[in-house]
Amino acid sequence: MNKDQLLKKRYRAEKRFKFYGLVSITLAILFVIFLVNVIFSKGRAAFQRTTIAVEVNFNTEELELSSNASIEEIQDADFYDLSINSLLKLYKTEGAKQEKELLRVFSPDHDIEIKNFLIKNLDNLNKNVIVNLTTSDDIDQLHKGNYPRHLPEERRRISDFQLLIYDQLVKENKVNKVFNTFFFTNGDSRNPEVAGIGGSLFGSFFTIIITLILSFPIAIFASIYLEEFAPKNRITDFIEININNLAAVPSIVFGLLGLGILLGTFDLPRSTPLVAGITLSLMTLPRIIIPCRASLKAVPPSIREGALAVGASKVQSVMHHVVPLSIPGTLSGTIIGLAQALGETAPLILIGMVAFVVDIPATPIDPSASLPVQVYLWSEQAERGFVEKTSATIMVLLSFLIVMNFIAVYLRQKFEKKWS
Amino acid sequence: MVMINNKVKIKTTNLNVYYGDKQALNDVNLEIHSKEVTALIGPSGCGKSTYIRCINRMNDVIDICRVTGSIEIDGNEINKKEIDVVSLREKIGMVFQKPNPFPKSIYDNVSYGPNIHGLAENKVKMDEIVETSLKKAALWNEVKDRLNEPGTSLSGGQQQRLCIARAISVNPEVILMDEPCSALDPIATAKIEELMDELKKSYTIVIVTHSMSQAVRVSQRTGFFHLGKLIEVDTTEKIFKNPNNKMTQDYITGRFG
Ligand SMILES: Nc1ncnc2c1ncn2[C@@H]1O[C@H](COP(=O)(O)OP(=O)(O)OP(=O)(O)O)[C@@H](O)[C@H]1O
Ligand SMILES: [Mg+2]
Repeated sequence: MNKDQLLKKRYRAEKRFKFYGLVSITLAILFVIFLVNVIFSKGRAAFQRTTIAVEVNFNTEELELSSNASIEEIQDADFYDLSINSLLKLYKTEGAKQEKELLRVFSPDHDIEIKNFLIKNLDNLNKNVIVNLTTSDDIDQLHKGNYPRHLPEERRRISDFQLLIYDQLVKENKVNKVFNTFFFTNGDSRNPEVAGIGGSLFGSFFTIIITLILSFPIAIFASIYLEEFAPKNRITDFIEININNLAAVPSIVFGLLGLGILLGTFDLPRSTPLVAGITLSLMTLPRIIIPCRASLKAVPPSIREGALAVGASKVQSVMHHVVPLSIPGTLSGTIIGLAQALGETAPLILIGMVAFVVDIPATPIDPSASLPVQVYLWSEQAERGFVEKTSATIMVLLSFLIVMNFIAVYLRQKFEKKWS
Repeated sequence: MVMINNKVKIKTTNLNVYYGDKQALNDVNLEIHSKEVTALIGPSGCGKSTYIRCINRMNDVIDICRVTGSIEIDGNEINKKEIDVVSLREKIGMVFQKPNPFPKSIYDNVSYGPNIHGLAENKVKMDEIVETSLKKAALWNEVKDRLNEPGTSLSGGQQQRLCIARAISVNPEVILMDEPCSALDPIATAKIEELMDELKKSYTIVIVTHSMSQAVRVSQRTGFFHLGKLIEVDTTEKIFKNPNNKMTQDYITGRFG
């Protein structure tokens, strides 16, 4: 082969290599688009809630309240009768069966919704007001166009009479779609139309904070010690190997550890962010230590020598020069470790975070759910409302992960830019 | 005729250095005299850097490095565990073969040493130290308007002078320079050589150099290393005019190395 042919061959090889790269990137992007599309098309509807405008007369006599009742009094009052009466006025019914069907158009907690409305708008006492009440999941889906209303009646959960009511109300412009704040503020519920991720948001938040507080300082000091101060001998080699092994241990094993030791031996409260945080810290520690050590190692030895040569002590040379230079790698390693912890499900299931918790946790020792476990729980439900909420929760979880990863990238660039 | 001072500042006896199994220095017996410039010459890899790194115990940071034999400074043994290397290195400054400024501002590079040793009571005093150090290192005029820029943004030669300024900022007694001028242009080199002339009035200087003419210009005493052994050491005049050893003769006349 002469020189010309060799040159051509080299160019061809380069083109081929570029082509392979482009193909794999295109495939990767297509998969991501597919995934996002599936989740988005399913989950989008969960951010909307169907309501029906109902006229309510907040008559103090009917509620057995004084005319200037305080919030506490209203809290204690019974709104059930008022609520039922207001709903029954919507459509003419005959007999108990039809009454029941009319009430079933709404979410079962309509009286609480009315009460909460009054608490927020106290000046409506003794007035006739329009309140938008949440519909049942079936009506919600019907209004969103997901309900098979053409099926024969015996194969639907919505009766013909309910369809009549619905169509009439739509004609009267009383059925609306509003932004579903319940999804973010409510805890879990058996009724998909009012179920929300408020509880799991707080649960995940507390869990991640505990994981951060426990694992970050330990990981930082462990990596600084191992990288800069520890003598290089068999013991440190052994520790190093074990840290690497721990990072590869399946997360469910840490769940077993949490179950056996934290719940079993130490008797910590079950299903709580505290236990979840400790368990996830154990899992996250090696995953943070490894990138931290790598970024410490990446600091050139000449910097350490420069500091030592002007008479800095070992600690000074590390703290003044090496650690600041390793900050970008350390921070992004930590954030990515925490992001992994945020999405972790298996260990949380083992320590009982799968319990059905309605209340929003106020402290890390209250039972609570967490975002990934909420996804798991809802994905097992058949109701269409839960299906869309599953996808919506995944969207929320993914956006947290994306934000965290962006922060990691941003920090790395910001600190690195400064000196290069 | 140069005045030769006879007071010995640094004395190494039977100095052996090993990197793992590999011996880098072999029974080096060398006396470095106070207030003069000693040049170390020799072919690449013969152990010059290794030798000067023994004097401020910089080889401690290399795990596989082992140093045996005696190193005395002003008659005090320093090659033993109990020696406080921090105060030793405060007294013995070093300029490395490759420029290694801190990735901090030019000002912080120079002020770091005085800062950790508490040499300046206040900002004014510190400014003064930074300025004189940079002036001595012949860098002041180039950087006086951008002291807050990163030291790493300077050119290679400027970085080397910054490292020199950093080394003299703490007023050491001995300055070890490992090829300080290898990245410098002739003008900067001349300035550094002037600086050495100036510094040797009060300091002891050891310089590693590959430039025979530089050794002749700046040093009063020269040691020739070859394959980890100190072949010959004498006054610079003697080494370059009439060396005892044939190898030295061959090396300085460029016949090998
Ligand atoms: N950190 C190290 N680990 C292992 N061997 C080393 C190390 N540093 C130096 N050596 C070895 O020690 C010997 C002497 O090296 P040294 O750096 O002292 O040479 P030098 O005379 O300064 O050379 P040059 O003029 O090229 O700088 C060389 O053979 C080198 O390979
Ligand atoms: Mg060298």
